[in-house]
Amino acid sequence: MKRFFLISVLVLTAASAALYWTRPENRGTATVLYWMTQNDPVKRETVALFRQWLVDQGLPPVDVIIDHSNQDVTKKLVQGVSGVGGDLIDLYFCELETMQSTGMLADLTDEAPAAGYAASTTYPAIVSDFTVQGRQYGYPRNVDMTMCWVNRDTFARFAQPEPPRQWSWDEFEERGRRFVAAANPPGTRQRIYYLNRVWPPVLRRGLGLTTFNETGTRCTLDDPRNAEVFRRVRRWTVDEHLLPTVADQASMLADGTAYDSSFGLFAAGRFAMIYEGLWALIRLRPLGEFKLGAVEPFTGGFKNMEIASGAVAVYAGSKHPGAARQFIRFLASEPFNLLVARSGDSMPPLPEFGRHEAFLHPPGFEGDWETKAAFARAGTTIGLAQSKSPFVLPSVVLKIDTDMLQTVIAGRLSPEDAAKEEAERINGEIALTISQDAALRREYERRLEVQRRIEARRAAGEGVPAAWIRDPFHLAYYRAQGWLEKTEGAP
Amino acid sequence: MSAGRPVRRWLTGVGFLLPNIAGFCAFTLAPLVMSFALAFSNWDILRHNLFRKDAIRFVGLGNFSRLFSDLQFWRDLGNTLFFLLGLPFAIAGSLAAALLLAQVNRRRVSTGSALVVATVVLVFSGLVLLSGGMAQRGVVFLFGTMAAAVLVSGVLTGGTLYRTLFYIPHFTAGVATFVLWKKLYNPHTGPINAALRPLLDGFSSAVCAWPGFFALGVPALAGCAMVLLALVQVRRLRRRWDDGEAGAAAVAAGILALAGPAMVFLHWHGMGTGIAGGLAGTVGVALFGAIVRRPRRWGPIPTNDAGLGSELSLALIGVPLLLLLAGAIRAGPTLPAIAALGIDPPDWLGDYAWAKPALMLMALWAAIGSNSMILFLAGLSNIPPELYEAADMDGASAGQRFWNITWPQLAPVTFFIAVMGVINGLQGGFEMARTMTLGGPAGSTTTLSYFIFTEGFEIGRLGYASAVAWVMFALVLVFTLLNFRFGNRDAND
Repeated sequence: MKRFFLISVLVLTAASAALYWTRPENRGTATVLYWMTQNDPVKRETVALFRQWLVDQGLPPVDVIIDHSNQDVTKKLVQGVSGVGGDLIDLYFCELETMQSTGMLADLTDEAPAAGYAASTTYPAIVSDFTVQGRQYGYPRNVDMTMCWVNRDTFARFAQPEPPRQWSWDEFEERGRRFVAAANPPGTRQRIYYLNRVWPPVLRRGLGLTTFNETGTRCTLDDPRNAEVFRRVRRWTVDEHLLPTVADQASMLADGTAYDSSFGLFAAGRFAMIYEGLWALIRLRPLGEFKLGAVEPFTGGFKNMEIASGAVAVYAGSKHPGAARQFIRFLASEPFNLLVARSGDSMPPLPEFGRHEAFLHPPGFEGDWETKAAFARAGTTIGLAQSKSPFVLPSVVLKIDTDMLQTVIAGRLSPEDAAKEEAERINGEIALTISQDAALRREYERRLEVQRRIEARRAAGEGVPAAWIRDPFHLAYYRAQGWLEKTEGAP
Repeated sequence: MSAGRPVRRWLTGVGFLLPNIAGFCAFTLAPLVMSFALAFSNWDILRHNLFRKDAIRFVGLGNFSRLFSDLQFWRDLGNTLFFLLGLPFAIAGSLAAALLLAQVNRRRVSTGSALVVATVVLVFSGLVLLSGGMAQRGVVFLFGTMAAAVLVSGVLTGGTLYRTLFYIPHFTAGVATFVLWKKLYNPHTGPINAALRPLLDGFSSAVCAWPGFFALGVPALAGCAMVLLALVQVRRLRRRWDDGEAGAAAVAAGILALAGPAMVFLHWHGMGTGIAGGLAGTVGVALFGAIVRRPRRWGPIPTNDAGLGSELSLALIGVPLLLLLAGAIRAGPTLPAIAALGIDPPDWLGDYAWAKPALMLMALWAAIGSNSMILFLAGLSNIPPELYEAADMDGASAGQRFWNITWPQLAPVTFFIAVMGVINGLQGGFEMARTMTLGGPAGSTTTLSYFIFTEGFEIGRLGYASAVAWVMFALVLVFTLLNFRFGNRDAND
């Protein structure tokens, strides 16, 4: 027994030593950075290109290791606040504010202009995706817009008309009903759906409503327009079966998550359309040859579309902050932007490359040209950033919104009650935040005063200065309605 | 151990124990103490961490008072308690499995007859296959063949295989099992619905063929069963009161187990909640009064809470059964219309109403062959055979042998299993919900442990999450104390 114990200890010690000495950091002299991101061909190519770019710039070598097993937001958060986060952290939808509020993201504001990656170098609409209250915490590696991808072969197969470039939600419902009836013979189980999902914020904006008021001080979803959105989505899902339920999606899966499976199902003709970003091209290209198209999201009136970016931030606890910042510099370089342009991973972060031939007409992908042009056109005309409030985390808002929509679809609450409860819960979160954070409380009081003034002006039928409005949707909507003051000024 | 100086022996002992003690202190005791302190603080991972050192404030009972107005907490507590309702069925299932396995061990099934049964099953499966074709009846054939294989192998191995099969769920990795069940529950391609579909089609056809029977006969039968069950319960309570086995509290619990479903039944039939409650309550009080005013026939007068544990345990099984019957009465008249459109199998994990029962069913499957079954098997082997011999000589039936010998003799084991089941039930559910439903649909499968994870690690409120964890601990404690107070009387006897 003693011998066995001793041998076990020796084997474990030897294994630990071997593990330590074979770590990437100990294998060579190059600095090693860990990048918490997805492991896809574009990311792998990015890493190789970065290495080459460093050589071209005469900079010391840096190895970037893609850490895709820790890209879940919970892991990023817990590892980050514990001091063991990755050197480079990808920030997706809703994650910036969560990470930034912990202090785990390095503030790049002061060095960004000199290093060439200032916020002003990219699209103004996505600045809020990597800045918080004027401070810069990263840089976009792509700019994405979400539209309805159309599998034209599927429409042709069932002899159904393709959707128009711009359409209303009534048209969506009418065309969808006809399509589903044609694609699914009577008496058989439904296998083919019109669209994979919808995005309620876009539908709400179509009715002139968004999650927060102009200053982000209150959730405004306790509104008949939000109830109408809930009612429609339920009808499309439960009554008309234009969209699959969660269970329908699950039943169509062989493997992976419902989200991942959408691309395969779209290629196979099980979804006539999918509501995804331009980055979907990365997933769709390997799935074979089929005719693609893209149309703008349908709404109940005000045309709008979601625009967002995937940003990369530097971990404040990184052991190699200099090398990590070089990577951010690389994101604003020509080689990287050309890579994004030709890869299909959304639009390059530098606007001039969005007009580049490599983006609009990538050789070898002639089938994508029309689609890319549609995305670029819509992005510059109706693209709007997400509505956020500094007083509640976007991830919490998303969770509540999803919960309420599911509750309506399950028939547990009426759309009106769900809208009321949603606003109550989000406003409860705002109240909780300002009760616990003195600095935010002061900011809240300040914005509340501005909000009162906005409402007073609106009530009096007067224009409102654009500088008073923090929410990107409200700003666009006010502009479209002619509610902005001619001469703008700060309060 | 060689004899040495006491100090040296003490040091040697401590040396051996130290790694374990250090591990316990570092990974159990310290986090426990820390989480207790956190429960009274505003520690938010977003504001109090390595990079942002805002002062952590003592908030007293703030986190606990917030719980009372947190709708999510109450919803998730309700879900957790709902899942706990499966416990009596799990215990009953484990006991039944243990009894069956004990029978197999005691009297080996005749190989010849078992083989005949297996052959019949195989032939039947083959006929089904031939009549319908593999594609349509493949699942039925698969189940039939598997059942036959299990039966034959069980006969050949003398029950060892059965014990192994029953215990497999317990040592199979949880997540792997959950993924497997997710596939089984798939509403369109899962084998459960594939097997249910022909049954439901047959049922629909039967309803369409005899609409009158199902519209009127089924509710009438269910109604008769309800009345019968109610009469049996009242008679049983009266007898237990007369015999001094039940106190006033036990009788009240037994009557409540009848009045509750009665109230729901009346409410489902259009009566307002208040009126239904009043009516059911009045009848319940009248019955209670009629029983407890009766003089006792035997022995010393028991305390008020005598027999309460047994009544509560029975209520946990009886109330769902009565509700099921009430549901049959309500659904009966609408059956022909539903059947005319065709009855679809449930959307197990996607439907709000089915998601919880689906998870309960899966947990039941895992619980039946768990440690509880092993404990029951051990308990059964400890029952002195003389007791059964004496009962045989007295001419006791199988049922009497069970109720008067097996059940009381197993009381300490049952009590232990119940306590552990309540503790695990209140703490569990996270992996299951995370893997299978992500807590949905619409939060219907989110348990308290899932709520703690979300609050602590997705939103970052560690102070609040710790408070919820301690409330959960308090619940476990209360349930355990109640179990000790009312559930272990038979065990001590």
